[in-house]
Amino acid sequence: MVQLESITKIFNRGRPDEFTALEGVSLLVEAVKVTVFKGPSGSGKTTLLGIIGCMAKPTAGRVYVDRQEITSLPERFLTHIRRRTFGFIFQQFHLIRGISAVENVMLPALTTGEPRAAIRRRALELLGQFGLSGKADSRVEWLSGGEAQRVAIARALVNRPSVVIADEPTAHLDTTLSRDFLAGMEILKAEGKTILIASHDPLVYGAALVDRVVEMRDGRIIDGAAA
Amino acid sequence: MSLVERHRNILDFAISSLARRWKKNLALLAVYTFTVFVLASVIFFTEAVKREARAVFQGAPEVVVQRLMAGRHDLVPQAYVEGLSRITGVREVRGRLWGYYYEPSTGANYTLVASGDPSVQPGTVAVGRGVARTLLAEKGDLLPLKGARGEYVSFEVARVFSSESELVSADLIEMHPEDLRGLFGMPEGFYTDITLKVRNPKEVTVVADKIRRLFPDTRPILRDEILRTYDSVFDWRSGLLLVIFAGAVTAFIIFAWDKATSLSLEERREMGVLKAVGWETSEVIAMKSWEGIVISLAAFLAGVLAAYLHVFVSSAALFEPVLKGWAVLYPRYDLVPHIDPYQILALFFLTVVPYTVATVVPSWNAATVDPDLIMRQ
Repeated sequence: MVQLESITKIFNRGRPDEFTALEGVSLLVEAVKVTVFKGPSGSGKTTLLGIIGCMAKPTAGRVYVDRQEITSLPERFLTHIRRRTFGFIFQQFHLIRGISAVENVMLPALTTGEPRAAIRRRALELLGQFGLSGKADSRVEWLSGGEAQRVAIARALVNRPSVVIADEPTAHLDTTLSRDFLAGMEILKAEGKTILIASHDPLVYGAALVDRVVEMRDGRIIDGAAA
Repeated sequence: MSLVERHRNILDFAISSLARRWKKNLALLAVYTFTVFVLASVIFFTEAVKREARAVFQGAPEVVVQRLMAGRHDLVPQAYVEGLSRITGVREVRGRLWGYYYEPSTGANYTLVASGDPSVQPGTVAVGRGVARTLLAEKGDLLPLKGARGEYVSFEVARVFSSESELVSADLIEMHPEDLRGLFGMPEGFYTDITLKVRNPKEVTVVADKIRRLFPDTRPILRDEILRTYDSVFDWRSGLLLVIFAGAVTAFIIFAWDKATSLSLEERREMGVLKAVGWETSEVIAMKSWEGIVISLAAFLAGVLAAYLHVFVSSAALFEPVLKGWAVLYPRYDLVPHIDPYQILALFFLTVVPYTVATVVPSWNAATVDPDLIMRQ
């Protein structure tokens, strides 16, 4: 599904504040499984998810998505692969304030060339799945934390991606809402999605639905590299 | 089809994005529209008045001959009319009788002209609408005018000129030639000036040279010279008006430049989110460009439409004192609507294009950030 070969990522290269976020990371991410990347802050989890999800390019190494080498592709093609393959759930949700929940969910699909009505229909269906039908037209700043996260999940799914990437999804949620999130992931797994989660929350990496835990520290995988 | 759909969706989002910051954008739209309105009004008005003047002078004689005495305008003897008629290429030589009349009670200057019109009988006058308005005179009223010897002579208003000719007839009083001579005490056998027509318009300057040689004490004034003077007078006036509004235009440029070239933190964050959820750099820039196009196009259309209504429906009510230039007898007339596509295009390129381009540059910087940056916030 996604294969990483000797990935290194260096930020601010050649400058005094140069920082190596990942060093020689090799990994095979299996399809239709839930993989959790755990480790302390600064261990490289978010950077690794960014590279897997085609959001950033590695400084060295190769990335294969569905056996296609994507590291050398220009931004345009990379964006196309990202849009088609990956759905992102961010730690801060990153919903756009001032527009409704359904409009936020529609955002990733607006540039696909699909008619607006079809995108809206699908966005409403997704909100319905997450119990937010009644909040579809509410502005996102009026929603509670749990509702906002469910809108963010619906947004991640609107382009029907095969892989869902969530970065510290429970960082701002209490235990009940965290369990709700995991229940949502359970449904996605059952639908055949591959799920990658970065988290240092024991509730997440200890959950029953998790197939594999990859432990990271100082930009390296220290446990769980082999599938 | 998918490209159209894609841009429709991006445009929809751009409009909703503008609506979210409606206070700031409404203020920008208002100032932008006002600037386009001022520029378009000046262009429409100046061009329409120039066209009007050209139309009025179309049937006028090609040459007016004045006699000078010690550098001052003097009366022309009848013998000059006969002399000018003998110049080759000249046709229709006519002596004109006219003068100025100051009316102290209204502070207005009227132009009194001897009329060849049979409807203007001795003892009657035809007056322009400006005269009729200031003196509250209607057809059948008596109009007293003070003569050269201090006596008042009353004339019956036989006709008030139609409003179509008001641009040139506002201050006009037409009367019988004998009445005009009597009122001003002008001797028989003399005229104020002489008009002549030339058979071949290309020979007008040659004829003017001949006149100067044959009658060295005269000054031939060509119709084209008058038209050029009119054009430059209105150009000068429109320039004056633009100078008055230069402050407003400059304020707009600074305001628009600031708005267009700087992105708020919120806008930068939104652009990062769009990239993170799968928008390409070019799509984010397209969205910001659409915002610029929507604002500038709306301001352009509203400004041009308002200027059209202002100039051609309300007769440029706001600019009247500066642009028309009459002291007391403001002419009231509707200008014939005319729009020069070249000028509209020039205005478009001076307003819409710079603003749209100015919005793209900072968006480019903001849109080229790595999408993974948003994951670190």
